[in-house]
Amino acid sequence: LNAAPGRALRQRVRFLPAPAPGSGGAVELVAARVPVLADHPLVRGPRFRKLKIGAGHRLDVKASGVFVLGIGHGNKLLTDLYNCHLTKVYTVGGLFGKATDDFSDTGNLVEKTTFDHITREKLERILAVIQGTNQKALLMYSNIDMKTQEAYELAVKGLIRPMGKSPPIITAVRCLQFALPEFQLEIHCLHETQQYLRKMVHEIGLELKSSAVCTQVRRIRDGVFTVDDALPRTQWNLQSIQEAIRNCQLKVETELEKTLG
Amino acid sequence: QDGGSLRGAMAGVARRLLRRGLGVAAGPPSTRQLREADEAAPVFQYAGKAARRKDRVFVWGFSFSGALGIPSFVRPDAGCKKPRRIQPTPYRLETEEKISSAACGYGFTLLASNTRDITKVWGMGLNKDSQLGFQRSRRDQTKGYEYVLEPSPIPLPLEKPQQTRVLQVSCGRAHSLVLTDSEGVFTMGNNSYGQCGRKVVEDEIYSGSHLIHQLKEFDSRVVQVVCGQDHSLFRTKKGTVYACGWGADGQTGLGHYNITSVPTKLHGDIAGVNIVQVSSYGDCCLAVSDEGDVFGWGNSEYLQLASVTETTQVNVPRHLPFKIGKVKEAACGGTGNIVLTEEGNVFVWGYGILGKGPNLIETAVPEMIPPSFFGRSDFSPDIRVAHVRCGLSQFAALTNRGELFVWGKNLRGCLGTGRMEDHYFPWRVTVPGEVVDVACGVDHMVSMVRSFT
Repeated sequence: LNAAPGRALRQRVRFLPAPAPGSGGAVELVAARVPVLADHPLVRGPRFRKLKIGAGHRLDVKASGVFVLGIGHGNKLLTDLYNCHLTKVYTVGGLFGKATDDFSDTGNLVEKTTFDHITREKLERILAVIQGTNQKALLMYSNIDMKTQEAYELAVKGLIRPMGKSPPIITAVRCLQFALPEFQLEIHCLHETQQYLRKMVHEIGLELKSSAVCTQVRRIRDGVFTVDDALPRTQWNLQSIQEAIRNCQLKVETELEKTLG
Repeated sequence: QDGGSLRGAMAGVARRLLRRGLGVAAGPPSTRQLREADEAAPVFQYAGKAARRKDRVFVWGFSFSGALGIPSFVRPDAGCKKPRRIQPTPYRLETEEKISSAACGYGFTLLASNTRDITKVWGMGLNKDSQLGFQRSRRDQTKGYEYVLEPSPIPLPLEKPQQTRVLQVSCGRAHSLVLTDSEGVFTMGNNSYGQCGRKVVEDEIYSGSHLIHQLKEFDSRVVQVVCGQDHSLFRTKKGTVYACGWGADGQTGLGHYNITSVPTKLHGDIAGVNIVQVSSYGDCCLAVSDEGDVFGWGNSEYLQLASVTETTQVNVPRHLPFKIGKVKEAACGGTGNIVLTEEGNVFVWGYGILGKGPNLIETAVPEMIPPSFFGRSDFSPDIRVAHVRCGLSQFAALTNRGELFVWGKNLRGCLGTGRMEDHYFPWRVTVPGEVVDVACGVDHMVSMVRSFT
């Protein structure tokens, strides 16, 4: 980054003494544009000695997926994005038949159960109930008076969302794959932690009169950033990062304007 | 030399002991040990392949009339517990049989089962007009109970009690109707306006009465019975509608405003039309034909029938020319009406909290409730409303996923959402199961629910 060509040096106008033409010996002040030497890299040293990097929404050690970082001035945008309260999308993989103490497949085994009575239909019924109760929570934690006409208008469009602190809320769930004993869910949520999602998998198992552990949590969308925008391990170099920042700038700006006004 | 060989022998023994595994090495269990412990763990079975979904009944609302059927709410068992006046969220009611039909009246409830056993109908709540039949009091064998606090069997005078099945029940303000498959309709309760289908007896005392009247004279088998506030409607297999009872608002639809004490056939715009559903709860009535047309008669003070007439009482069934599509089901409330079309859209009109925000108080033309309230979105586009029901000032909608949405005036907690305020748009009721059917009353509701697994 320091080797890249920097900005052009600042210029300023100075009145320099210069010999006047013709008068021989008398000195005149002539305006001239000269570079400010205090900005020169040989005087100042390398432009970047440390970079301030901030992280967006937390991601567990055991989870994977999109992780948003802000560099330098981008950290201010991070706080704005946090205040937008946009939903995040995860793909959660689960396994029926086991229950562990930390709800993931690497924990200590608590119980093993049968699971051959579980069908896709039963799972979808449970998911519908989860969605319904969370829908109610969405309306209740949004702190809008339900008796007003504006609340009705927002509710019709589906724009009611808690704009402050709230417990984890799941806005949508659906079953992507179902092959006993494994299953995969797509979860859209707000204000959640990955451990909460693993606990939800465990509770789904309990509700179906069996048990389940979570094998995989992968974030595929964080607000406006999707897996396509994210850089994999092989692309963690300066050029790709700069390009990615440039590509996402417009998206972030429009989203912030739309939500925060 | 001896010590050396002894030490060698001791070392050899120790090594052999370790090799046999009697001396276990300490430290965290290896993956192989974990896996072996995993496989050796016992497997529990909580539900087998033949596990069936259970049918349950949930009640909520005002409990002091006994209409919820839970005596401990009115008379607590333990001395320290306080009586519960209102049950704001669904509470499970234990029943002996699977309940197939339920109806809520004005302060009382009827539950009916499809069984061939002798006891087919249970009633609870207000019994001051014997709308729950005669409930013999245990303290005084000659008198009956005025308030029945738990579901008590109603003795129906059936000819073949072990063969007849009860299909449906319906409750009005102070009377109730029971529909059987082969023995006609049984009516009980108040008959001061002839709503029980028998001649009005002057100064009849209804409290503690044993009289249950049987109605059999219709042109074909009765397939649906509906109670309005003080009148009764009967729909037969041929698609005709009969009515009896109070008619001052024209709710009997017989062309006059007098009392009718014998079920009489309705004509007007429904003559010759095959009616597939009738509905009433207050003083207005709606009927749906097999072609999706809606007919209405009765009270129109709240603009229920204002689309066809300016008068406030209509005593002859009139066709309501709504351009909303083919209507599948209709429900009447006290001041508002609701219909469900074939596409699964819900339309409301009338007066009161109609479900489109606090600004819509009255309308004569049906307005659609946006389907996004019932859960329909890009994520789940195939959610449809399957049934609509009406209480006196509340509305209820059931979706095809088994979710119950309610809105309207929250009188004494009857909406069941847990909040005591009125709801101006559809709000989900959290029930631990898939809701199959719901019956709405004035201040309480009963739902029939199937468990998830």
